[in-house]
Amino acid sequence: MARKDLLDIASLHREEIELLLDQSTSFKKLFTRSVNKVPALGGKSVLMLFYEASTRTHSSFEVAAKRLSADVTNFDIAHSSITKGESVRETVETLQAMRTDYIVVRHGRSGLPGLIARQTKASVINAGDGAHEHPTQALLDAFTIKEKFPDPRGKKVLIIGDILHSRVARSTSTLLQKLGVEVAYLGPGSLVPKYGPATIRRFTDYQAAMAWSPDVVYLLRVQMERQDVQFFPSLREYHRLYGITNDRLAEIQQRGLYIMHPGPVNRGVELCDAVMDYERSLITNQVENGIVIRMAVLDWLTPGGDAPRAEPTFGRSYERSC
Amino acid sequence: MLLLQNARIASENSPVLLEADVLIVEGKIQDIGNNLAIPEGARVIDARGRILMPAMFDAHVHFRAPGFEAKETITTGSEAAINGGITGVVMMPNTRPAIDSAMVVATVLDNAKHRSRIPIYTSGCVTKDRQGKELAEIDGMRELGVKMLTDDGDTTNDPAVLLRAMQYATEFGMFFASHCEVPELAGPRALNEGVMSYRLGIKGSPACAEEIIIDRDIRLAHAAGAHVHIQHVSSKLGMETIRWWKSRGDVKVTAEVAPHHLLFTEEHIGNYDTNYKMNPPLRTQADCDALLEGLIEGVLDLIATDHAPHTPYEKAQDFISAPNGITGLDTALVSLYHYFVEPAKFGWDVVVKRYSAEPRRLMGLPVAAIEVGQKAECLLFDTEAETTFTREFMKSKSHNTPFLDQTLKGRVDLVILGTEILLER
Ligand SMILES: [Zn+2]
Repeated sequence: MARKDLLDIASLHREEIELLLDQSTSFKKLFTRSVNKVPALGGKSVLMLFYEASTRTHSSFEVAAKRLSADVTNFDIAHSSITKGESVRETVETLQAMRTDYIVVRHGRSGLPGLIARQTKASVINAGDGAHEHPTQALLDAFTIKEKFPDPRGKKVLIIGDILHSRVARSTSTLLQKLGVEVAYLGPGSLVPKYGPATIRRFTDYQAAMAWSPDVVYLLRVQMERQDVQFFPSLREYHRLYGITNDRLAEIQQRGLYIMHPGPVNRGVELCDAVMDYERSLITNQVENGIVIRMAVLDWLTPGGDAPRAEPTFGRSYERSC
Repeated sequence: MLLLQNARIASENSPVLLEADVLIVEGKIQDIGNNLAIPEGARVIDARGRILMPAMFDAHVHFRAPGFEAKETITTGSEAAINGGITGVVMMPNTRPAIDSAMVVATVLDNAKHRSRIPIYTSGCVTKDRQGKELAEIDGMRELGVKMLTDDGDTTNDPAVLLRAMQYATEFGMFFASHCEVPELAGPRALNEGVMSYRLGIKGSPACAEEIIIDRDIRLAHAAGAHVHIQHVSSKLGMETIRWWKSRGDVKVTAEVAPHHLLFTEEHIGNYDTNYKMNPPLRTQADCDALLEGLIEGVLDLIATDHAPHTPYEKAQDFISAPNGITGLDTALVSLYHYFVEPAKFGWDVVVKRYSAEPRRLMGLPVAAIEVGQKAECLLFDTEAETTFTREFMKSKSHNTPFLDQTLKGRVDLVILGTEILLER
């Protein structure tokens, strides 16, 4: 069952997911015994290709690769001379010449890591593409939930926020459902589309969503930068309708619900400050688990498996036409 | 002199095929009947089992000249048409420069005369450079034979501009073809807003973006007393909007549908396959079903391919960057046979009426019927043979079609235009 790339959660089989989560557990045990490194990827090279800034995911992958003894190279997009036009195509040609083994790519265009994967023998890991998928985030979320609920089947996760633009919501809910978790969405009607998956409950009212009795409340980061038109009137109104306010936190504490967030948090928007001190907030657990998950993914993929297909090339944006 | 023996003749008036011999003399159909005598010097073609029908006419093609000859030229485009059994086309004016003045029309038509074996017609822009602001010089284009005005590729967004254009140009006997899309709703990506846009994480274009303009432009035509032709209808409610307006009977409205909107849904996009990226976008099975019903019923008057060639380089980009469109001339007739006629969804009469007769009527051209006294403008179609759409088979310069390397039932064997045999396989 060797895979060259990890591009999405949708195409992962349940056994593959279990394997990755088990492997992450072993890595985690190893590192609590204060072992610094394992030689698994000794002599291999990992290239970080981040077209969108992300301190968190970027450093998590970097630490993971180094713990596996791989060499890490950062492709400095911001300071390279390449313009937006031909950048991806030229970059991939360069990478091909550099014979890197793994490429970790984040890009604002949905589907772009898949295009790169088809052109290179290197293993490509999607570290977030547009509003499409963010598979390692989903895996670390599942891992974090499994630490609290070893058998997560039948548990309920309520994902709150901008579902429409969130790759985290797509990947995480797909993965949780594959593990038998029930998922519901809550958010403004303009950001929780009616045409989302039919297997996911859709709420626009906080009280109604809490009446569904979730075990975990998963808050998404409000990403104003992804919104080309206004989807809700103000952050203040958003916080009032969908944020974890002090009052709502009291109810959550009383019910003993877990809180998750992929970070970075907009304090005062998705949640009030007090949430950060709540003992059932798993936000820092998610960060820690990100490293072992990414180690498991790097360790699992097999570079060079598929011969690259020659035909896809891509470059500058063309004007609207038909 | 050409004698086609035992052909089965299709017409727009009946689903029943008439078996007969057809004698063509000096580019005209001189006789139709059983066991016609073989005149001296006549070439005899045994057409037994094959279907003889009027040649097709495509009222919506992009030949990309001037300006984008890497995608298509008038020569490659018209050869693709012949390859598909089509003997006349109407080009869209979204070229560079845009076809928005008598000067550009003259250049294009002059080129066409020398570089095409079939007649080429062109539409003209409604507004200068398709900017939607100033009216193009409409009468100058009319003098050179332009009948259809359109800013295809974009909607003429300002309703006041379009209304004035309609009031003005209707006086010259011209009509308007509308690409229907509210740009603020549609955004720049051609993907239906729905299950697929959600799954792929790409902003979609909702069907209402198209339906609003369908209704708006018919209303404007109603107000101006103009004839409006709705291009490439893709949605059920859009089709029903046209049906409602037609039922009122007080506005001249015609409409076209592209084969791909009858055949494919958003699901075909699968893993970002840019060969299914087109504008208007592929929608749902319910839309396809409604469009098919509308076509048979005549709410949608004609079939047009919206033949939109792009280079492999452009289409091999990521889904958002890739341009919209699919080629269609090489494949249209065979695909209509394979998916609709052969499985008895509709008969040959629908193909002839919707893809040969009605488009010619729209353009004010004589209909190419297989009747005594008519000009010979016809094709022979073998329903038993197959066509494999390899790169070599297709004559279009571009191959951005999901039919690439697919094999479908049916084959265009012979295309006749007057005294010339344009194609013979
Ligand atoms: Zn159009």
